[in-house]
Amino acid sequence: MSHALDGVKVLEVAAWTFVPAAGAVLADWGADVIKVEHPVMGDPQRGLIAMGIIPGGPGAVNYIIEQPNRGKRSIGLDISTEQGLALLYKLVEQSDVFLTSFLPATRQKLKIDVEHIRAIKPDIVYARGTGQGPLGPDAGKGGYDGASYWGRGGVAAALSPASLDYPIGGRAAFGDLAGGMAIAGGIAAGLFQRERTGVGPTIDVSLLGLAMWVLSPDVVASGLYGGDPMPKFDRSKSPNPLVGFYKTKDDRFVTFMLLQSDRYWPEFCEHIGHPELIADERFADAGGRFNNCVELIALLDQIFASRTYAEWCAALQTMTGVWAPVQRPSEMVDDPQVTANGYLSRVVQDGNEYDLVANPVQMNETADVLGPAPEHGQHTEEILLELGIDWDEIASGKESGAIL
Amino acid sequence: MSVKPGTKLVSAVCETQVIVVRAPADDVELGCGGAPLIGADEAPSGELDPSLGDGSLIGKRYADEELGLELLCTRGGAGTLTCNGVVLEIKGAKPLPASD
Repeated sequence: MSHALDGVKVLEVAAWTFVPAAGAVLADWGADVIKVEHPVMGDPQRGLIAMGIIPGGPGAVNYIIEQPNRGKRSIGLDISTEQGLALLYKLVEQSDVFLTSFLPATRQKLKIDVEHIRAIKPDIVYARGTGQGPLGPDAGKGGYDGASYWGRGGVAAALSPASLDYPIGGRAAFGDLAGGMAIAGGIAAGLFQRERTGVGPTIDVSLLGLAMWVLSPDVVASGLYGGDPMPKFDRSKSPNPLVGFYKTKDDRFVTFMLLQSDRYWPEFCEHIGHPELIADERFADAGGRFNNCVELIALLDQIFASRTYAEWCAALQTMTGVWAPVQRPSEMVDDPQVTANGYLSRVVQDGNEYDLVANPVQMNETADVLGPAPEHGQHTEEILLELGIDWDEIASGKESGAIL
Repeated sequence: MSVKPGTKLVSAVCETQVIVVRAPADDVELGCGGAPLIGADEAPSGELDPSLGDGSLIGKRYADEELGLELLCTRGGAGTLTCNGVVLEIKGAKPLPASD
C-alpha cells in the first residue's frame, strides 16, 4: 500500500458504494479506516442480490462489497442507542476524518452532524457525499447514482442516441466509484489544510456536481450557445475520418484518435496495408479528407471489414498515432498494461484468492497491496478493546443490542 | 469447559482459530471438526470427522443465541464449529428486505 496517509484515522458512517469507495481509497493510501455498521442490518449493500451471480459457501466473494470496502475494519454499533453513540464519540476523539453518506435529517437525529462531531473533535475533516449537494431545496433528499448522476446529472441524455426507446443505463455503481475518488481527493486536500492551519474543513461531493464536471464541455457550451449544441455527427459524414470507430470482420471494433491527421495519415495508410492512399489526391490532406469524408469512410469501412479484430490489433501495434482496441471488461484483466502497472491487485485470504481493481492514483510506480473487505462487524471487539473498553462493557452492549 | 470472553481457542484437527466474544455462564463443550477446541498452546491431535467438514470462515461469527454464546472466527479451516455437539450457525447481517 501507499504510505501517504499512514497514521491517519478515518471513521466511516456510510452505506452503499459512493462514500464507502472514498474510504477504500483512503485505506489504499495507508489510512486506518473503521467502518461503522448497524449490528443487525449492516451496510445494506451486503444484501444486494441484483447481480445474481454470487455463489454461496466457502470461496464466495461478494465483489460488490469487496471493491468499495477493501482494507477497512468493521465495527457493529447501533449508534441510535446511548451506549452505541458514546462509543462512536470515543472513536471520533481519535479520528482525523469523519466520512458519511447519511441524510441531513438522519445526521441530526443521530447527533452525528458537523456540529456534534466538531464539538468532540474540533479540527476533524468532516466529509459528506450527497445526491444533490448540501444546499438548496433538494439538499435533504436522497440520491443514487442512477438518479442523481445518470438521470438528473444529464449523463443518460447525453449518451443515449435518439433512436433508442429508452435511455441507456449505467453500469453498477458507475458514478459512485468516480464520486468516491472525488471525495478521497477532497479529504486529502482537507488534511493538508488542517496540517497547515489547524482547521479541518467540511468537504462535500454530490453526485449531481460530479455529473456536471464530467459533462462540463456540454454544460458550458449550452450556457454559452443555448440548447444542447455538442454535435453528434452521423459517423458516415465524420469531418475527420481518422477519429472514430471502425468495425472488423468479426464484428469487433477499433477506434482511432488521430487529431493531427496530416501528421499521421502516411503511417495510418501503411499500417492498414494501403500505402497507395497516401498520395491519393482526394485524401492527401485534412481538407481533402474533410471534403471527401463520405467516400473515405466508406472505403475505410471496407478495409477494416477485411480483417479480424485480432489481425487488426497485431497490424496496428507499431503505429505511433493513438488508436485502441475496443476491449471488453473481461479482456482488460489480461491487458499487458494492466499487468505491468498492477491495476489489478490479488487479495489472498485463508486460501481464497481474487483480484480487485486498484484505485487509479498510483504513487512511486508501485501498486497498492490490497486487503480483503471486513465481514459485517468483524473487528468489533478488537476496536473496542483498543479503545480501552473491557469485556464486561462489551458483554452488556451485546445484551442490549448496542454492540454486535 | 468453562469459557470467558477474550479466550482464544484453536481446532485440534484443522486450521480453524476462534476468539470467544460472548460466553454463557454455564460450561459448554466447544468443538470443531468433531474434536474439542483446544488452547492456542496445546498440541493438535486427531483427525477431522468428515461429517463435520463444512468448514469455518474467517471474520464470521458463530453463535447460539439461546445459550448466549458467540465465537469470532479469526482463521478459517475445514472443520465445522459445534457447541455441545450441535452445529453453530453463522450470525450474519440481516439487511432490510429487498435492498434491490
